[in-house]
Amino acid sequence: MAGFDDNEDVNFPTKFKFFTQTLLWNVGTYYEFFSNARVGYNSFSSFAFGQLKDSFPTSAPVFYRTIKYRMFPLETFFRLKPNIELNFTLTPIWGRGKITLETKPASGSGGWTITDDWNVLFNSFDDDDPLDQVASDNNMKSDWIGYSGMIGIRYYFRPWMGLDFKAGFLNNGYNKEKWRFQGKRVMGPDLTIDDLPIFSLKLVYALR
Amino acid sequence: MKRLVTFFLLWSLCFGNHPQKVEGPNNPCADPILAYARKHGIKAIPIKDLIHYYRTAKKCSKAGGEEVIQQIRINEYERDFRRSKTMASWTSTYAVCVGMVMFYYFLGLFTASKPDNT
Repeated sequence: MAGFDDNEDVNFPTKFKFFTQTLLWNVGTYYEFFSNARVGYNSFSSFAFGQLKDSFPTSAPVFYRTIKYRMFPLETFFRLKPNIELNFTLTPIWGRGKITLETKPASGSGGWTITDDWNVLFNSFDDDDPLDQVASDNNMKSDWIGYSGMIGIRYYFRPWMGLDFKAGFLNNGYNKEKWRFQGKRVMGPDLTIDDLPIFSLKLVYALR
Repeated sequence: MKRLVTFFLLWSLCFGNHPQKVEGPNNPCADPILAYARKHGIKAIPIKDLIHYYRTAKKCSKAGGEEVIQQIRINEYERDFRRSKTMASWTSTYAVCVGMVMFYYFLGLFTASKPDNT
């Protein structure tokens, strides 16, 4: 995530990088519509937050960043043994990135405004088209599509509960020029998320 | 009359019988929920009855019915295994497609060179 980690203008929080970038929280639900197939919804999320004191000394805004990979997987599987399953997943991805700045209105003698704060952030992402004013909505968003393929193994330690390990790839069509802020196109951070290997570990609970 | 009614009310409040506790079956392994789980599987138990099932299964295990609980699990493993031990219909083709997509993806990732933008 070069747009955050190597940003020269804004010092983004990178203290717990493993938890905020490498590790994604995974939640999902599946419906088994056939004896060997299931369909569902799965969401991998990465969160980061922190106060940007150094780069915005006047307002010291709080920064939140979320990246979500929403998946709609179609999975087929078979059981090697009564308690071991092999599964094969292909899924489209609807990815969404969201950056929020909780910033303050003008304070001090400098006359620094919310608009200035946002312009500093956009400039740090190489956006050279500053905004004149901003509304009260305070986040920038980007959506993209992608696809993913995974092969996994699941061990059932109870008939209704198991551990599922998957390995595969994420291919995202992310474009840093396609962020939106209050209806205007703005530049977003450089993110190298187009070709990512992915390893997923899930605790599975089954109901019928 | 009013005093009489008040007297009986107070009497019943002070000396009324406690509601008798209905005792469950002496043998927790004879609980109908275990029979249901044995027949249809634990996954088929309605969500609202799951806690009751887990408690009953624990009590049954403590009362020496470990094998009963074990048998319920084995039955369910076997039932699931019978249903999905082989891939049916289009699912095997799909699995092969997933394998091929992954193979070519990683092949491209490690062997392809990116075009030079300069």
